[in-house]
Amino acid sequence: MTPPSRPAVPPAFSLLDAGREWDFSLRVINERVVASEVVGRVVERARAGAAKPRGRPLEELVNETLYQEQGRLRRAHGERADADRAFYARVRHELPRAGGSGQVRLLTEIVLHYAREIAGHFDARVYKVATSLLPFGLNALVTSLSPRRVLKERTLWSDLDQHLVIEGEVEALHRLKARGTVVLVPTHSSNLDSVLMGYAVYRMKLPPVTYGAGLNLFDNPLIGYFMRHLGAYTVDRLKTDPLYRETLKEYATLTIELGQDNLFFPGGTRSRSGGLETHLKKGLLGTGLAAYRNNLVHKKAEPRVYYVPITLSYPLVLEAATLVEDYLAESGKHRYIIVDDEFSRVQRIVQFLRGLMEVDLRIHLRVGRALDPFGNDVDDEGRSLDPRGRAIEPSRYLLHDGEYDDDPVRDAEYTRSLAERITGAFRRENTVLPTHAVAYAVLDLARRKHPGFDLYRLLRTLGPETGLPQREVEERLERLLGELKALADKGAVRLEKTLAAGDVGGTLRQALRSFGTYHQTPVLERRGVRLHLTDPKLVFYYRNRLEGYGLLGGPDLLAAGSPS
Amino acid sequence: MSAPVAVLGAGNWGTGVAQLAALAGNDVRLWSRSAAQCEELNTAHTNKKYTGDAALSDRIVATTDLRAAVLGASPILMIVPSKAFREVARALGDFATPDLVLLHGTKGLERETHKRMSELLAEETCIRQLGVVSGPNIATEILAGKPAGTVVASHFPRVVEEGRRALAGPGLRLFTSDDVRGVEYAGAFKNVVAIAAGMADALAVGENAKAMLVTRGIAEMARLAAFLGASPHVFFGMAGLGDLITTCASPFSRNHRLGAALVKGLSLDEAVKSLGMVAEGVNTARAAHELVHGHHVDLPLFERVYRVVHHGLAPDAALRELMRLPVGIDIDRALFRPGAP
Repeated sequence: MTPPSRPAVPPAFSLLDAGREWDFSLRVINERVVASEVVGRVVERARAGAAKPRGRPLEELVNETLYQEQGRLRRAHGERADADRAFYARVRHELPRAGGSGQVRLLTEIVLHYAREIAGHFDARVYKVATSLLPFGLNALVTSLSPRRVLKERTLWSDLDQHLVIEGEVEALHRLKARGTVVLVPTHSSNLDSVLMGYAVYRMKLPPVTYGAGLNLFDNPLIGYFMRHLGAYTVDRLKTDPLYRETLKEYATLTIELGQDNLFFPGGTRSRSGGLETHLKKGLLGTGLAAYRNNLVHKKAEPRVYYVPITLSYPLVLEAATLVEDYLAESGKHRYIIVDDEFSRVQRIVQFLRGLMEVDLRIHLRVGRALDPFGNDVDDEGRSLDPRGRAIEPSRYLLHDGEYDDDPVRDAEYTRSLAERITGAFRRENTVLPTHAVAYAVLDLARRKHPGFDLYRLLRTLGPETGLPQREVEERLERLLGELKALADKGAVRLEKTLAAGDVGGTLRQALRSFGTYHQTPVLERRGVRLHLTDPKLVFYYRNRLEGYGLLGGPDLLAAGSPS
Repeated sequence: MSAPVAVLGAGNWGTGVAQLAALAGNDVRLWSRSAAQCEELNTAHTNKKYTGDAALSDRIVATTDLRAAVLGASPILMIVPSKAFREVARALGDFATPDLVLLHGTKGLERETHKRMSELLAEETCIRQLGVVSGPNIATEILAGKPAGTVVASHFPRVVEEGRRALAGPGLRLFTSDDVRGVEYAGAFKNVVAIAAGMADALAVGENAKAMLVTRGIAEMARLAAFLGASPHVFFGMAGLGDLITTCASPFSRNHRLGAALVKGLSLDEAVKSLGMVAEGVNTARAAHELVHGHHVDLPLFERVYRVVHHGLAPDAALRELMRLPVGIDIDRALFRPGAP
């Protein structure tokens, strides 16, 4: 039984003890104070680990960081990389001569170096300006950044509003906020997700959320500006050493403890296949549990943490072409991080948003039912429920001999349950749109015409010359809508209204119009009485949103264990 | 002063577990539905129906009150037949709290759903700190004070630790694992092979033939487990090979006895009645059949046992069929590749 670790904190820091009395209305978290608390905890834990019988010596920990960072920096360019190189050169120089206390100092410097990079530039005053600027900013994009056109087309502002449909447990979300800290966990298809989530939070009249966003996104001047000021902290997926991960997790943990609502994309990266996430990254996900435990140990007035699954359903995805290419190339192999894609080209974002508005497409954002850090359902009053709906006291999951003890293996297991419940919620709260259904029916039909073909052979065989009789597609689609309706009636999936009405013709028309609007070539095209698979990879991408429901008796096409 | 241990279910193995826990130095609360049985356990310290004249520790206190048995106890050891498991789990769920630690020792699957017992607990209670105990543990021998080994599996180190505290002693060597699913499948599937071994013994086919049957049986167990997403490695441990050796050799084994009774021409009902206890293999044979139905999983031995038990195929005909099957490679290496199945 280890006593709850309470690292040495600079005397100026008293936020934790102040609890809810701290003026949250301002929501200005002193970045430096947070960073020093994070550094204190990470260093303290490393020292405690090193002191254990078979613990990891500090020198080894520092050396691993040096080694991993050296590998990363070999391929890195730019100012930030130069600064990192200079920093590590000094650490490398000093490490061999450093004694025990010198090692602690170097470790502290590394962690501080990381913490400074991670810590967001969140500022409530800027937030106010940024949220009011956000629709304006998106508008500017849509109108090709011409101020004259922005002024001329003022109405676009409210148009944007109509293109994001927010549904689900929004009221419950407001109630839970009053009872604890909320962690939003959305599906992740596009880099626009962060922008949309920031905007949706604003529109739901919720206080801003803190979230982690890829470091490279901050280099995009326009989007980077919004990210910084909408409460983002940076996550660099290229940094793989344990100290970085610890620092990142501790930062997120602390912000939750401070009552700052958070947003994680639990899939870790945008879905390459277009499918819903089936495997989540447990590291960051578990920070809500860590924060809950710390809150209990510190006897916080409102210790609870609620995870709220959110599904974002796009009729078209900005980066679909790049993502599916990556999926097919890397399926089952080590995945790389896409640095340059549609998101980094402003012109593509413009085309995308224009397409969205011209064809009157709607992005559906669905707020799911909240879960506690153990994956139990939570009722409207914020109480945890057992699988049979009986109220339970969740803090007792952490109780051992009367103490909230520190047991990382146990907590990882709880987080695994939570992850399973979140992926289940993604499946149930997934809003199926016409493009998904039509792509699914089309690929199912094509697959049946080529029995025995594996996925790669099938996609190679199909092409602009592949025409499927529209009547047959409609038959498939009709059956699919029937099956989807049955699932939706059981609460196993959500349907957009055309689909819910079972309108086969309407669904097909809408999908064809959508497929013709944004992508380089139409995804699917009508020629006479046949539908041509102009871009079979994108048909595959959009159908994957319906993978895993066992629809039309078809097999799953996304191999188990490969990137979702 | 450590918490008392709760044992739910006072059948043959439940009584054995209660005795082990008492011998390990614990106060034991033993829950049974039967007031008469509790009375006998508390006064005469015997459980005639299930464990005959074996003298039980006076540290075992029996009760019919589930709540009283469980509250304040740790760990809870649940040894209830698979048929009644969900019902007891649901009753437990009415007052269970998330800090409870529970291990079960039931070697079967739910008949209707083919679910594992830990899955039933997760569906019916808030308890997460779950584990399973399984191994070559014939209650009669354990009650006679003979040494044994077993495996306790959980994803939670604390559950394994509590299992060790509750049960490990001079009479029981306790091995550990984190493969709950594998240990549960191993414990359930071995009962099907045990029925086949009982048939082979009663038909006097000889030790060579029986060894062949059992060896192919364990290969099928591993194949089936792999199909269900479990690791086949666990089948070389206490819950797999260990349990299989005992259960296929010992005339004390219920499933073994059931196989022998079927050879003697008894119907399934008569055979089950002659045991006076539950033979989990009957239900597991059906579960295995239904689980692989429509899939390409080759289970010739399991399939024959299923047909003997549930469709009246004559045991000798079943063995003859098995002997005529095409033979292939001895060990399928694909099963052990990382990432298999």
